[in-house]
Amino acid sequence: MSTPRIRASVISVIALALFGALFARLWYLQVATTSEFEAAAARNSVQEIIDPAPRGRILDVKGRVLVDNRMANVLTVDRTITDRQQREVLRKLSVRLDRSPKQLKARLDDPRNSPYTPVRIADNLTYEQLQYVAEHRTEFPGVRAATVPVRQYVNGSTAFHVLGYLGEINEAELKAQVDPHAYQLGDKIGKSGVELTYESDLRGRPGVTRVEVDATGRVVRRLDKRPARAGHDVRLTVDLDVQQVTEAALKQGLDAARKVKDPASKDKFRLLNAPAGAAIVLDTTDGSVVSLASEPDFNANEFVNGIRQSTWEWLGDPRNNLPLVDRAVSGMYAPASTFKLVTAIAGLRAGVVDPTTTIVDNARYAYPTDPDHPFKGEGANGKVDLPRALAVSSDVYFYRIGGELFARQKRGDPTGTALQDTARELGFGAATGIALPTESVGRVPDAAWKQAIHDKNPAAFPYPEWLPGDNILSSIGQGDMLVTPVQMASAYMTLADGGTRYSPRLADAVFRAGVDAGNAKDLAAKKVRDLAPIKLGTVDIPQRDALMAGFTGVVENPKGTATAAFAGFPPGLAAGKTGTAQVQGKQNTSWFVGMTPAAQPRYIVLVVVEEGGYGAQTAAPISRAIMEQLNGLPVGAVTNVSPPAGN
Amino acid sequence: MAIIASDRRSRIQESPLRHVDPLLFGPPLILGALGLLMVYASTHRILESEHLDPMFFVKRQIIAIVIGLAAMVGLMMIDYRRLRELSLLGYFATVLMLVAVLKLGVDVKGAQARFDIGPFQVQPGEFAKVFLTLVLAAYCTRHREEMSGRRLVTALAICAVPMGLIMLQPDLGTDLVLMAMVFTILTMAGARARHLVVLVLVGFTFAVVAVQAGVLDQYQIDRLTSFANTGADAERSGYNAKQSEIAIGAGGLTGKGLFAGSQTNGQHVPEQHTDFIFTVVGEELGFVGGAVVLGLFAIIVWRTSRAARLAQDPFGALCCMGVLAMFVAQVFENVGMATGIMPVTGIPLPFMSYGGSSIIVSFACIGLVANVHMRRFS
Repeated sequence: MSTPRIRASVISVIALALFGALFARLWYLQVATTSEFEAAAARNSVQEIIDPAPRGRILDVKGRVLVDNRMANVLTVDRTITDRQQREVLRKLSVRLDRSPKQLKARLDDPRNSPYTPVRIADNLTYEQLQYVAEHRTEFPGVRAATVPVRQYVNGSTAFHVLGYLGEINEAELKAQVDPHAYQLGDKIGKSGVELTYESDLRGRPGVTRVEVDATGRVVRRLDKRPARAGHDVRLTVDLDVQQVTEAALKQGLDAARKVKDPASKDKFRLLNAPAGAAIVLDTTDGSVVSLASEPDFNANEFVNGIRQSTWEWLGDPRNNLPLVDRAVSGMYAPASTFKLVTAIAGLRAGVVDPTTTIVDNARYAYPTDPDHPFKGEGANGKVDLPRALAVSSDVYFYRIGGELFARQKRGDPTGTALQDTARELGFGAATGIALPTESVGRVPDAAWKQAIHDKNPAAFPYPEWLPGDNILSSIGQGDMLVTPVQMASAYMTLADGGTRYSPRLADAVFRAGVDAGNAKDLAAKKVRDLAPIKLGTVDIPQRDALMAGFTGVVENPKGTATAAFAGFPPGLAAGKTGTAQVQGKQNTSWFVGMTPAAQPRYIVLVVVEEGGYGAQTAAPISRAIMEQLNGLPVGAVTNVSPPAGN
Repeated sequence: MAIIASDRRSRIQESPLRHVDPLLFGPPLILGALGLLMVYASTHRILESEHLDPMFFVKRQIIAIVIGLAAMVGLMMIDYRRLRELSLLGYFATVLMLVAVLKLGVDVKGAQARFDIGPFQVQPGEFAKVFLTLVLAAYCTRHREEMSGRRLVTALAICAVPMGLIMLQPDLGTDLVLMAMVFTILTMAGARARHLVVLVLVGFTFAVVAVQAGVLDQYQIDRLTSFANTGADAERSGYNAKQSEIAIGAGGLTGKGLFAGSQTNGQHVPEQHTDFIFTVVGEELGFVGGAVVLGLFAIIVWRTSRAARLAQDPFGALCCMGVLAMFVAQVFENVGMATGIMPVTGIPLPFMSYGGSSIIVSFACIGLVANVHMRRFS
């Protein structure tokens, strides 16, 4: 390496090698692994601008709008204005809008806002405020007046538990989405009620505009656009008129109950608490929910612009009786005498009784092997057959059925579990499938259940065995039996329609946005789909006439438990069953399951009132008022019928 | 033999312009034109969006190219052997300018490397390339065949003055290019092999010590070390490197098409019209475009090495080899940093990057090579 020639060659080789390295690297980047970089370049430069779709409306069965979108005047601020402009604009806006610049700044800087769309800085402006900004446009660079759709619950708190409310989507809900464009952080999503269960229909599909942006986020060009599709309108089976009467009657009934003495208390001055209740009206022809109410309720409009923290805390405090809980579907109660429907059918199917089986009710029943521990009934009813046993709510009659079935169970007779079997067939212990979230399943206790809870916690549940008392208490809907109001209403619906089981149906059709509900042609043209009644199956109900006679006796027989509550009600129009459930540490739960008209019931009108005393006392008058409305009768004021007529 | 002799005689009598190498001029002109297109591609959108003349940078670049061509032709007119005498003058002028720029220069992105003269900026560091090449070649020619250790140290001292001043700016990229040039000229001038090995080791040690002892500014260390871990530190110093790699990689075989690169249009690659001009080629013209650019540079290097080989005297050969080394180093470093195999040091791509000084000096270097080449018979 001494001659210049060799040295020149070495340098040439080095130069060649360096060029070779560049070629190789270029080949590697641009040919061998290019797709990776293409993707990276796309991530870099392509941004999506989401254009929210207007949410669908919710209509009642007659097409009346229950939930609408109101157009609200809002101001938006473009975030690309300079910091100095921004300070100036916020200062001026704060004067006009009567808000502190700090508040406005906080909204502007909220990280949930897309950097590519103007930020909504103020809602619900008056026309004057909007006008001022529009007229002084040069003073407010980057500020735009806009109208945006805002959810509006037209009738305030009416049907709150049916309709539900919207809230901001949370992390878990966001993660659960399949379509990444469907929701953005900060979007509203149904949190309860129909707003939640029909979310996918109501939501629509947001528009997506893909734009190419530069490194500073400025839009270079528009790539493509998928327009937004407005959410569908959902028509409910709920009738606004019935709903309003149902709610009013329930509220009045609770108020009236709170003014009377608790009949079960020895304390003369102890009034009923009646803090909460539920009412459901079902149409027996197809299982439609005509009304559904739960007290206390709440005005969903308070959620529209984000609920106040203090209100949210108030709603979560048990002392305020949890207005957000829908007791009609998630409340679990001992059914008490309303459960005698199940016991009667079980007894008939097992052949323990027939309609003419008569016993003497002396308010006392003891299981044969344990005569020293009798079960007490609520008053002696003398000679009773099955219809009369229902009408006067004879506990002893049904204790006997429960006792006899237990004996058979012990013998290994397959009919011995008729009570539990019938209960399950009628839908207890399982969700009814109503299109509302948070439905509870309740509990039908049996031998297996008792063994299971014992195994789980032997200290709290020392007896693993299914005892006579378990079956006997179950037969009058006490003990460990728990049902939801909607389950009970469904069971009576099955009786009323002769054995067909429907899942309670809340909505009957879905239409494209903006359907004219009063126009049959438009309804047909815009229909997206029908929500047909959902038949769950049939239940064999023997001796239906005898049973219906018993339930009619409840309101018409002079000794009927609810006769006093239905005094003056047109004969033949009502039937039903009272229930008075004993609850550990609380006043009695008041139940009434009404059916109207009596011969071939069209509607089930169920009412349950927590700590409402006797069923006939508080729940029955509420049910009566609703039945009056359903039959086109003048709706009387709901009073509390005391002294109680029975259980 | 006689034929050759007579042939030689006749050629001496001809004008040297008859012996210019057209292949030496073609590639720089094509690269210059392509550079204009790339400068336009990377700047017109941002200029338009600011309501400025979209041709602003292109027009200025055209002026620089015209001046560069004039410098090239001017340099060809003076016999390079006379340049040898003038080179010392140029050297001292450059050193003075380098001192002055440290006092009076404009601070751009942490480096004090340029003067503002009217609307134009002058980077003395670029001109140092030409004059240092000439001075070093002249010194080495005088002491050819006897490059003792002492002479070598003297030669290095000559280089150390301007290179040290450039380091103070700091402009690491230019120094790296100068190092390649110095090393090549010393090698060709017959420096002893063991001296060269020591030189490499010293240079390497210096680099390590410089990084460790904080001679380099933090931003330079960041740039130098960030290329090794671009993924981890994309937000900071690795950002340039990562974005340019994305741009080039996204170009694929044939590119996104002229003016259709999203990385380019979106200004995602900083310094794209200057140091990262190659990313525009890579993204919009793809591997094909990049290969053409590299090919054109390869032709320049080939013709320069040929000029060195055919040079009439050692001084001319050393000048050519110096220029060759600078072009190779500059292209390798520039394209290397754009493709992520070299650290980001902020160094322009000859003939293409926006920047007057670099353009003028690049064409002047071509003029120097052409000068040597066309006077190979005289």
